[in-house]
Formats: sequence, C-alpha cells, structure tokens
Amino acid sequence: MDKFRNKFIEEATDNINDLEDALLLIEQDTENKELVERIFRSMHSLKGGGSMFGFNLLSEFTHHLETLYDLVREGIIKITKELLDITLASVDHMKLLLGNDEFDSPAFKTKHLELSVQIKKFIENDNKAVEISNIESIDNKDNSKIKTYYIYFEPESDIFKDGTNPLFLLDELHTLGNCKVFAHLNKIPEIEKLDITNCYTYWEILLATTEDVISITDVFIFIEDQCKLEIEEVANHDITINSEIIDQISKLSDERDDVGVSEILKIIKGKKEKEIALDVKAKIAKKTGTIPKLKENAISSIRVASNKLDHLMNLVSEMVTTQARLSLFAEESGDSELMIIAENVQKLSRQLRDNAFDIVLVPIETMLTRFQRLVRDLSKELNKNLVFVAEGADTELDKKIIESLTDPLLHILRNCIDHGIESADIRNKLNKPEQGKILLKAFYSGASVHIQIHDDGAGIDPEKIRAKAIEKGIIKKDNILNKKEILDLVFLPGFSTAENITGVSGRGVGMDVVKRKLVEIRGEVELDSEIDLGTTLTIKLPLTLSIIDGLLVKIAHSHYILPLSAVNKIYAIEHENVINKYNNLIVLDGEQFPFYYLREEFDLQEGEQEIEQIIIVSYEEQRIGLVVDEVVGEYQAVLKSLGKMYKKQEIISGATILGDGTVALVLDTNKIINQFSQGKLIIEKEI
Amino acid sequence: MNKEIITKINSYLSFNLGEEEFAAHVGKVLNILEMTKITEVPRSPDYMKGVINLRGAVLPVIDTRIKFGMTPTVYTTNTCIVVMEVEMEGDMVQVGALVDSVQAVLELDEAQIQPPPSIGSKYKSEFIYGVAKVEENFIMLLDMEKVFSSDEIVSLKEKTDEGEINLEQDNNDKVLD
Repeated sequence: MDKFRNKFIEEATDNINDLEDALLLIEQDTENKELVERIFRSMHSLKGGGSMFGFNLLSEFTHHLETLYDLVREGIIKITKELLDITLASVDHMKLLLGNDEFDSPAFKTKHLELSVQIKKFIENDNKAVEISNIESIDNKDNSKIKTYYIYFEPESDIFKDGTNPLFLLDELHTLGNCKVFAHLNKIPEIEKLDITNCYTYWEILLATTEDVISITDVFIFIEDQCKLEIEEVANHDITINSEIIDQISKLSDERDDVGVSEILKIIKGKKEKEIALDVKAKIAKKTGTIPKLKENAISSIRVASNKLDHLMNLVSEMVTTQARLSLFAEESGDSELMIIAENVQKLSRQLRDNAFDIVLVPIETMLTRFQRLVRDLSKELNKNLVFVAEGADTELDKKIIESLTDPLLHILRNCIDHGIESADIRNKLNKPEQGKILLKAFYSGASVHIQIHDDGAGIDPEKIRAKAIEKGIIKKDNILNKKEILDLVFLPGFSTAENITGVSGRGVGMDVVKRKLVEIRGEVELDSEIDLGTTLTIKLPLTLSIIDGLLVKIAHSHYILPLSAVNKIYAIEHENVINKYNNLIVLDGEQFPFYYLREEFDLQEGEQEIEQIIIVSYEEQRIGLVVDEVVGEYQAVLKSLGKMYKKQEIISGATILGDGTVALVLDTNKIINQFSQGKLIIEKEI
Repeated sequence: MNKEIITKINSYLSFNLGEEEFAAHVGKVLNILEMTKITEVPRSPDYMKGVINLRGAVLPVIDTRIKFGMTPTVYTTNTCIVVMEVEMEGDMVQVGALVDSVQAVLELDEAQIQPPPSIGSKYKSEFIYGVAKVEENFIMLLDMEKVFSSDEIVSLKEKTDEGEINLEQDNNDKVLD
C-alpha cells in the first residue's frame, strides 16, 4: 500500500504543479475555457486519488475547490484576481497536505480552515474576502456539528460473565467518530490474586462526533446497570485531532487513576489560549512557513525527465570510452603515476556506469496496469473467464527495454486470451478449472532477465503448425523437424495459426513481428507448448542495452568484441587443427565442439598465426568454438548501433570505439550459434 | 538552418570519381574527412566499405565507385570521405561516401543546370538530376537522397546474392562498348 501511496504522491505532485501552471496562465487569459478545463481536471484527479489513498483532508479540501471551479466552468463565477489568489494559496496548502495529511501544528490547521471558509464564501457567490477574527467561529463553521464528549466507562468486574466484551463497545464508539481511548490498568491486582474471569480495566474516552448524547448512551444500553458511565460534552469542536491536547491527557491518564472531566476542560482551555498566540506567530511565519516533513518527502525521490537520463547515459558511455583511451595511453607511457591515476579513473567510471545503470532501471510492474486492463477488457469481449497473475513484478529492466517490450507483450497476451484459453464449456469437458489462468513471471538469470508468459489453455498442436507451414510453403512435406523446430515456425513471417481471423489477434501482425521487436532489443524468444496443458513463451532479455562487459579479440588487423557472459573457455590451438576440417568439429578436453573459423567466415586476408585461440561460447545447452588470432583481454564496450544501413547484419550486434579511436565490432554469439545450428539443419535437410 | 533556406542555396560540392566530376548539394554535406582506417563489417555487400569512428559515433562508409559500377576505390592521399546526411525510411541518417578527391564548392544558377541526358549516359541516370557545364567540363549533379535512399541500398543489398551489382556493371560495360 505504501508503494501505491508513494506513487500517488508522485502523481499528485505532478498534478499540483500542472494546476499551478494552469492557474498562472489563466491569469493572463481569464476567458480561456481550455485552461479552466485543465484546472478542473487536475483538481478532480487530486480529489479522486486523494480519497483513494487515504489523503482525506486533501481530498475534502480539493473537493471544495472543485465545486468552486465547476461554477467557474459554468460561467457563474468569473475569474478574478481574488479568486486566483485564494486558489494559488490553496494550491500551496495542498502541497503541504500532500506531504502531511494531518494537522501537526495548530497554525497549519488554522490555515486549512481559513482557506476552506474562503473557498466556501466564493461558492456562495460572495467575493468579499473573509476576515478571520476568532478561531472558534471557524471551528464552529467547519466542524459544524462536531462536538467532543468525555466518556468515563467502568464496567463492573463480573461483566464477562454475561458474555459482554467491553472492547466491542469501544469499537462501536469508534464508528461514531474520532475516538481517543485511555485505558486504566491500575486496578489489576498482583498475578496471584488475579481472577481471570473478572474485568479490572476501566476507560476514559474522548469522542468527537456529530451524534448526540443519546446515541452515545445507546452504545451502552445493554449494560447500563452494570457499569459506571459518565458522558459530558467538553468542546464544541473536534479536539481528538489536536495531538498536543491528546498527548497531555494521555500523560495525565498514565499518572493518575482517572483524569476527570474538569482536568480535560482545563487542558482544552489552556490550549486554546496558546493556539491564539500561536496563530499570530503562524501568520508572521506564513511567508516562510515550512513544514519540515514535506521537505523530506521531496528529497527522498525526484522525478526526472527521461531524456535527461538518456543524456546521462550517453555521457557515461562517452566517459567509459575516454577512460579506455586514457588507460591505453597510460600503459604505453610506462609512467607509473599516470598508470595509478588511470586505474583509479577506470574504477570510478565503472562505479559511475553501474550507478547510472541502476537509475534507468524500471520495474516490470510499470507495464502491468496496461496488461491487466487488456486482460479485463478482452476477456469480457471474448466472453472468457480468466485471471491474470504476475510474479516477480519487481524485476527491473532498462527503461528502453521496458518501452519496447510493452507492445510485444500486449500482443502475446492477446494471443493467449484469444487462442490459448478455451471457452468455459470446453474447459469443463476437459476437466480443467473453469477459470483460465495467465501467469506472467519475471526473474533474473545471470546477466539476463527472463519473462515467461504461461497460459493453461489449449496449447499448440505441432501437427497443425506443420500442416500450415507445408500449406504456406514454408517447409516441405518430407522435412523432418523436431517439436521445438516446428514450434519455432510460428515466428516466421507470414505465419498465423488462427483458423478464423478474429478482430483480436491474427490480423496479419503475427508472432514474426513480436520476434522482430524483441530481437531489436537483443531479446530472444522461445515457445513451448503441450496440447491441452497450455503454452509457455519465454523471453530472454539483456539487463541493459548500452554497455556490456566484453572480451576483446583480434583477427587480422581488426578487433572484435564477444560478450563476456557468453564466453566459457579459451584454448590455444595450432593452426593446422582448424583448417580443412570438412565437418568443422574439434575435440578439446575429450569433448567435441563444432567451430567457426572466423578468419575464413569473415573473408579476411592471409596472415594466419601458427598458434590461434579458440573461444568456447555457450548459449543454452549449445556450445561452439570461435577461432580468433589473439585474445587481447576484458573490455567494457559501449554499444553503438551500426545504423540502418547495416540492419541486416545479424551476427553483429553493434560496434564500439576502442581506446585508440578505431572501431571494433561486437559479435552476437547467440546469433552465430543459431546460424551454425541452422546451417547444420539445412545440410541435414539436403541429405 | 532550416531546410528551406538550405535548398535555396545554390552551392554544390564537386568531387571526382575516376576521371568524372560529380557534385552534391552542400545542404547534404556535413563534413569532409581525410581517409582513415575503415573497420570492415564481415558479410556485407561490396559497396558497404565498413564503419569508422566519427567523433564517438559509428559512421557507415560506402564505396561510391562500386555503387556507380566502377572499380573499387584505390586509396591515395587525395581520397576523402564526404559525410552526408540523407533521409532513409523517414529518419535522417549519416553516411560517409568515399571519393577519389574533393574539388571545389561551385555556385550554380538554375539556368546552368540542364536535365540529365536520357540516353548515352554511362551512369544510372536515376541518380543524376542535372548536368552543369562549368568551364568546358560537364559536372553531374547527384541526387544524394536517391543514391543512398533506403530502397536503393536495401534493394541492392537484397539482390547482392543474385548479382545485382554485377548486372549493373555489365550494363555499364555495354554502354562503354
């Protein structure tokens, strides 16, 4: 709940700022209807949100303002300078209310009441500013009928024997209004003498309510003759919200057997005198008047325009690049002092990088509302009974990834609801729970985040896919594919399994688009399905898009980067072991690896080394070797896109600028592995 | 500067590809760089030379000679990379074009520019939007958007396997014959 409250505070701050902005604009252009609408809207959402998240004072306060501006909207009240003054003052007050939804100082309360009355005056079409002479009169007006009663309640010791629980009576009192209860435990005897069937406790209660004495007495109606009961009016306003008075009374109640009505009256009176004095002070301090709590709130979290964060990330990237250059230069210079400085800069820039990354990470739950909404609307539209559950919603991802992830996920969910979950009749026949379930599960796995979307629906029939693929000419009739390969066909362009194209999914934008979008953010997607049990779609995403830890390698005169997370092992091998291997397999440590001789694959000129390095990279269960000339070392690579012109270059995920200013290409090992396994597939097919 | 002002300027940057002189509107030209080390991108079409580091950004470089069906550029001290900004699929994209040498910035009046000859040209006329005669020399004014436009490059790329570039060269050879 706290989380939502914080979110509301963030949003409300925006709303209030927007409101302020609009008010300032309307001062220049008092006839502007659009601005009035904007003001009204901001107030409306503040009111609604406020009451939803327990900011009752704020909500109530805004409600009056809203009423006022409703009249402005209808043209009954004209916008005048006085009106704007009071509204702006109210806006300032709303900011305070947002940080602090209770009156912790009398001045604060006075201001609240003062503004409320002024607003009400405006609503009553009386533009005259209201003079405040007496706090009590305001109190009377605002809390109109609220009175505070003192209740002394001492049940007889054998009250339990009738089955009465006095606590229930206290609970009932709470329903009448604001209630402060002071329990007296001094009559409880020593433990040896204690009779557990007896009641020793008695209470003094302050109740602020609009009800009269009779309804309070009604609470005690059944035990009237079994208790000592005293009810007396002590104030004609709510004193339970005045923390100072309450503190004093509770202190007294600890010290004495009972406080008594006269003592309470004394405290209230003393308080009132002080309040007036304070009020004068508060008026002086109004200009500078701050409430410290608000300040704390403002600091604990700030909202930043996302383009500023993009800029920060760019700067960090530049910094990392420059740092690489410095390290290179320091090493070449051989100056030990410079090397120490370079090393420190490296350390700092690494920390800076990690920190900046942390800032741009956004939890997945920011997307969830949209999903929930979609599920709700769509299941209604398609008349399907289902529930959407999210696990691991606090898993964080780079905000850029989240942004590009929403649409594909929406599409996948649409598919789940439309094709996955069966109608209730079918589910009943299959002995499945009538309510279908879609589970979105997110979790970290190494340097990547996995998002799984599972539905317990019909599942995908591989035979249907196969038939469809043959029909569409994607595969040939005699192609032998295993189940995974068949399911992967779904991601090919021009494939849509929906037998009837509905308005929801299967309108041509198929899973191929989903896959393409995910690939754009370096994501991988995998499908698994059991007929009648359901379908699971797993998306694997990198934690971040901009900087990766890489392994810098050299082939001929060019440098390449492999993502370090994929690198498994490195072996030195002799050149003749890798050339002219017609099956491209090598045995290392008794294990067989398929390999790519990158020099050949990349069509680079001669100049092979006697001893070359083979880097074993892994992806899922597959492992392959990549043969390079030389391994230079670890490298923090700032990923840069190769741009539109190279967008078809699948095996290269980007480029990075090295310390000496040249460009190194970043290889996408997953793609290389995929290509390799697919290459094998084609060979099999041809045979 | 906004686009309108730029297009009203009549300045053109002229450069050589082999013996021929070409020119591009200065509004498209951002930069002229000296030849630098180009990082080749494996498995890309021949005319895509690779990428270079342009002040921290990665800039693709195109061998204009190959693009126009000539022999690949041989690097000399005069070889330059002309950085241009062209529109590709609605986005502005920066591209480096390799040229044999950069000549001058010319001021050309509308009147000096004639439509391209439809026959007898040895270069694909769709890339050329006009010919200007300057001191007995004919300078071909290139339509940079078309030269680098997405369709052209993508179509070339897509058809590389089927030998689109070779076809182009064949055609040109025939004209030369």
